[in-house]
Amino acid sequence: MNNPTTPAAIELRQVTKTYRDATALDNVSLRLEGNRIYGLLGRNGAGKTTLMSVLTGQGFQTSGEALVFGQHPYENDGVLSRICFIRESQRYPEDFSAQRAFKSASLFFKHWDQAFADQLVEEFQLPLKRRIKKLSRGQLSAVGVIIGLASRAEITFFDEPYLGLDAVARQIFYDRLVEDFAAHPRTIILSSHLIDEVANLLEHVVLIDRGRIILDDDAEAIRGTAVTVAGNASAVQSFAAGREVLHRESLGSLASWTVEGRMTNAERAEAAELGLELAPVSLQQLVVRKTMAATDAVLDTDSELEVLK
Amino acid sequence: MNRVVNVARMQLINKWTFLGIPAIIMVSAFLITLAIWAMIPASGETFYSGASQAVMWYFMALGIQSLTLTFPFSQAMSVSRRTFYIGTVGLFATVALAISVLYYLLGLVEVATNGWGFNGQLYALDWIATEHAVVQILFYFIAMVALFMIGFWFATIYKRWQATGMLVTWIAIAVVLIGLLGLTSWQGWWPVVGQWFVAQTPLSVSGWVALFCAVLAGGSYLTLRRATP
Amino acid sequence: MIDDSRPIFLQIAELIENDIVDGALAEESQVPSTNEFAAFYRINPATAAKGVNRLVDDGILYKKRGIGMFVAAGARSRLVAQRRDDFFREYVQPMTREARKLGISTAQLTEMLHRTESTSDMTEGSVSR
Repeated sequence: MNNPTTPAAIELRQVTKTYRDATALDNVSLRLEGNRIYGLLGRNGAGKTTLMSVLTGQGFQTSGEALVFGQHPYENDGVLSRICFIRESQRYPEDFSAQRAFKSASLFFKHWDQAFADQLVEEFQLPLKRRIKKLSRGQLSAVGVIIGLASRAEITFFDEPYLGLDAVARQIFYDRLVEDFAAHPRTIILSSHLIDEVANLLEHVVLIDRGRIILDDDAEAIRGTAVTVAGNASAVQSFAAGREVLHRESLGSLASWTVEGRMTNAERAEAAELGLELAPVSLQQLVVRKTMAATDAVLDTDSELEVLK
Repeated sequence: MNRVVNVARMQLINKWTFLGIPAIIMVSAFLITLAIWAMIPASGETFYSGASQAVMWYFMALGIQSLTLTFPFSQAMSVSRRTFYIGTVGLFATVALAISVLYYLLGLVEVATNGWGFNGQLYALDWIATEHAVVQILFYFIAMVALFMIGFWFATIYKRWQATGMLVTWIAIAVVLIGLLGLTSWQGWWPVVGQWFVAQTPLSVSGWVALFCAVLAGGSYLTLRRATP
Repeated sequence: MIDDSRPIFLQIAELIENDIVDGALAEESQVPSTNEFAAFYRINPATAAKGVNRLVDDGILYKKRGIGMFVAAGARSRLVAQRRDDFFREYVQPMTREARKLGISTAQLTEMLHRTESTSDMTEGSVSR
């Protein structure tokens, strides 16, 4: 429901962004409420960074409207000062060290927590005085992650924050994110294609593919909405009859299909009687299947168009 | 307003960029000039030096760097382009004004010490040293701002349109200049143009350059407004 | 611990229920906060809160303002009773249905149960008391 008195943290209305030869965002409409952790999921080049750029006034949409706290973010210091977006490919002044970057951040983010930043520097073992351009990819990511977390901005975007971070550092990031979010609720938008790692942290999932939103739902509502059925091919086929099939795999007489829908106990019993195995589908698998299904659909339409020509 | 000041403070986090390096350039240019004068046997003629310009060219490089690297970072700091622009140009103008005043004062010292004892001219150049203090300061100031703005705008153009943009810009400038030269020759305006140049005073030159700066400032701001990090 | 088969909030609620049923969480004792659950299981705090609130709604847990969440008096016996009902519905009924199909009489079934108890050294499970 659109309530004019309390604008959503983020709202996109029919936003399209075209580059010379490509459509990065294709008529995207989206409404995100505040104080939640969102997962902005999708393949590389799906439009995640473009979406975040438009929302932070760093990039421009070709048409449509982007609203943050009910206002246009572009050149709007009032709104921008409540947002933090460190790009995956963020550039820093030539002579900047991590320490100087944090010093700057403390000037602009009013909720900046230096003690928290210091703690994170320690945990990520980040060299403070080394020039940023001499840092490794993982250390560079750590600089962005630390600014994002310690800024405590009302809306914080993390753009593929884990690039180059090892498993330990990634776990530190996820743990601190959950803890700090619990203590200081705010809106977090985590763009990622490592879905398994972040799935349990997300309250809401937005899946983008080729500039279109193909899934926008609570993570809990998605969890368990698909199941993989494996066993004898004909049994699988009869069990899957009348259901939306997201994926098919087969090996000789064996088949493994991913079908949509929550299983009732009766259906589980039915599967057991048919000698079929049911396995849960992870959020990552579901996202992969949905994306591939959407791609197939696009390809189908494309080939239909070819035929029409 | 507070954020504008913070942009200036961000630019000053590394003291060397805006303060240290300009100071080193000025001091070393001065000392090297004196050393050269000391080595040349005195002939009774006045020594001239363009070493005082050195720091101005540094500011052109600074204009380029401010845009290519500090601008993308300022975007990550959630600073609007307008705030970044005002803060950066404001800081630069303050530094340029301080150096202009310093040049004026050094010019006074130069005259008082008979050209640092070498009958040299480094700051109090003939053409402007006779002008009013305000005009002298204004002249230096405008010259520095012009160079910074040129660097800044070219960097903005490069940022938005890459090498193609630079190429087009240079070709356009060349075409306009050649066109003007051609027009002047064709119409036989050279004597008039010559008289016009001779008639210029430091104040009028400052005025023209200030006009040029205003165009650059407006142009670079409009270009920056649509630049992406 | 947490898997993908069902919503996480249900799993959190069940984990707490299990702890109450097997006595790890005594009645009137304090339950970890939702943020502690979130940090421990590395899940979204809102999701953890949803799981805990479900138990509050069911009267299994209750809130003390400004202090935290506690196990309600009588929570264990209510959970055990509920689980016995579930046990009957989910295990006993299907088993007897299958037994009828195979022509196993109630007496034979009872005898089978006695036999499993004596052969497999069954420990005191949460449902047999």
